[in-house]
Amino acid sequence: MTAVHQFHPVLAPADAMSNHVFALRKRIRGWGYDSYAYAVEAKAGVADVRSYRRLFRDVKPDDMLVIHFSMGHEVIDQLVKIQARRVLVYHNITPPEFFSGINPHAAAHARLGLRQLARIAPAFELGIGVSEFNRRTLAEAGYEETTRVPILIDWSHFATPPDDAVLARWQGFRSVLLFVGRISPNKRQDDLVRMLAYYRRCIDPEAHLVLVGAFRDQPQYHARVVALIERLGLGGAVHFAGSVDGAALLAYYRAAKCFVSLSEHEGFGVPLLEAMRFRLPVVAYDAAAVGETVGSAGVLLHERDLAEAAEAAAIVSEAGDVRERLVEAGERRVKDFDPDKVAERTRQVLGL
Amino acid sequence: MSDKLKVDLDAVMAEVRERIREKREKGIYGPDVEALLRVPLPGGRRIFADDLQDPLGSLAEALDAEVEYDPRSRKPLVGPLITFARRVTIGLVKWWMGAILERQERVNHLLAAAYDYEGQMAPRFGARLEKLERDLKEWREHLTASNLHSVYFQARFGGDESVIRRQSEAFLDLFKGRKRVLDLGSGKGIFLQLLKENGIGAYGVDLDPRTEHILPGELVEILRVCRRALAPGSPLVFVTPNPKTLTVGAYTFWLDPQHLRPIPPELFKFYLEVEGFTDVKVRTFEPSEKRLNESVPEGPIRDNVKLLNETLFGDRDYAVVGRAPS
Repeated sequence: MTAVHQFHPVLAPADAMSNHVFALRKRIRGWGYDSYAYAVEAKAGVADVRSYRRLFRDVKPDDMLVIHFSMGHEVIDQLVKIQARRVLVYHNITPPEFFSGINPHAAAHARLGLRQLARIAPAFELGIGVSEFNRRTLAEAGYEETTRVPILIDWSHFATPPDDAVLARWQGFRSVLLFVGRISPNKRQDDLVRMLAYYRRCIDPEAHLVLVGAFRDQPQYHARVVALIERLGLGGAVHFAGSVDGAALLAYYRAAKCFVSLSEHEGFGVPLLEAMRFRLPVVAYDAAAVGETVGSAGVLLHERDLAEAAEAAAIVSEAGDVRERLVEAGERRVKDFDPDKVAERTRQVLGL
Repeated sequence: MSDKLKVDLDAVMAEVRERIREKREKGIYGPDVEALLRVPLPGGRRIFADDLQDPLGSLAEALDAEVEYDPRSRKPLVGPLITFARRVTIGLVKWWMGAILERQERVNHLLAAAYDYEGQMAPRFGARLEKLERDLKEWREHLTASNLHSVYFQARFGGDESVIRRQSEAFLDLFKGRKRVLDLGSGKGIFLQLLKENGIGAYGVDLDPRTEHILPGELVEILRVCRRALAPGSPLVFVTPNPKTLTVGAYTFWLDPQHLRPIPPELFKFYLEVEGFTDVKVRTFEPSEKRLNESVPEGPIRDNVKLLNETLFGDRDYAVVGRAPS
């Protein structure tokens, strides 16, 4: 074997999945193999990505082809015909139910994706889930050999001073609650907004909610969350930061008092670990892979009770023993996902 | 992990609940805030995850929902072409889609009929269950003629006081020295009176439906309750008509319409043994008044007469006696 190539239909900057691909490419090259990232669409801002068409020429029968799967794509049906050692890394597909009635296109795509995931199962010698939750999905979809290897997080994006403008705007507020993730129905930003309504009525009338994450993928849902904010009279209290670079994201983690997730479906939840890494206490609803990522390093909510979520966020926001211990536990938790460890584990399961 | 480093998450959640409780008490977290937390997402259907919290209510909405599709494309230049292509496609598959929709509509209606969509599950199921319960109750009443006033039964089938007293005396020895004897189905309290006269503490229960017209399973239940309630070694006596005597089993037993089924002595004994009572014995008494004359010459005829007497005119009642397991 001389080469280990990776494929994902779309590679974009500031995307946990794409970051994983690029971080892995760096490692694989470091182990002495040829390695390229291939995509159907490379968004502006990513460099050194090859067109998927080249895969049919570039891959030799004893090479390894790692297909990252987070959406269905017709190209993948062709790629699994390439003679090679094929491995699938499953980054999760949000179940179609979450888009039902909000974004029928997304629902249809999710349905097709899940069907394809099961259909191509026989083509892979190994299925890797980035969480135990994902590994189980693979096993249920008919993958015979499955294992769990966490996401390879590339922390170098944060090796930059925090964005001054963001810090200047948000530092000094008493209560800034932060959530990072695409604006999407499964992430339940609408419930974060309702929770803020409680927070401002019952805890701190000056509280703010910052939502970092792209909102162009789900314009219908975004518009409805904006309408909800108006309905609840929270205009000005909720800030959509959009998709941001490492410096700005770092500044948000620094300026916020608490990271709150009410997401109902996560395949892994990278921002949970990012928050911990930057000493932000975490309150999260225990759903899908959230619990296994947070471990005991955050306040996990087992009931879907927005008042409880708000009060928990308030407690961990207060300077004190609980916050200190939680922050320290978070830093220790991040070490469990240390990139060197994850890379070593990846190398082991791929047999490199 | 050392104790110093550990986060007591249970304590955090306890504090969370305490704060909420306080805010509810002070009225800070009242119905107005609760209403805010329930404001639906404006501009369309609820999120499916929320629908699942109230599936029946949501089903009603889903059944009524209109499917809308806007074929117009807003893309520059190619937009009208795309719109045209979509309209043509819709025209082509219209009848096929219609057939599928028609079938789905039937499925929807059948489901809606099976599950009432006013928010109550399967209303006809509820009505049928109610009718069954009514019928069962009625059937049990008819079975035992409990619509007849039971005082008349007491007068007619309650038994002769002197006979009951005489029968009861036979068991006095068993209860000597006991302080709390229970008489289930004590009737007029003849046995209780007798016990009292002999300095034995006792109380009785009657007109308890559980001690009337007993089914075999109910008898087993009673035995189990007795086993739990009785002190180890305490005596237990059941007196009942003896169906081994055919004139009883075939005739006198049925004079009381409340009697459900006769219990053969061997079976009653078996029940007690299976339920763990020890020292179980059957005692019969109250010979029939009418008997065949046995003063015939010794030989097969006298044997036959004796056998007939035993079978037809044997003891009318029997008692099964046991002791609670120690």
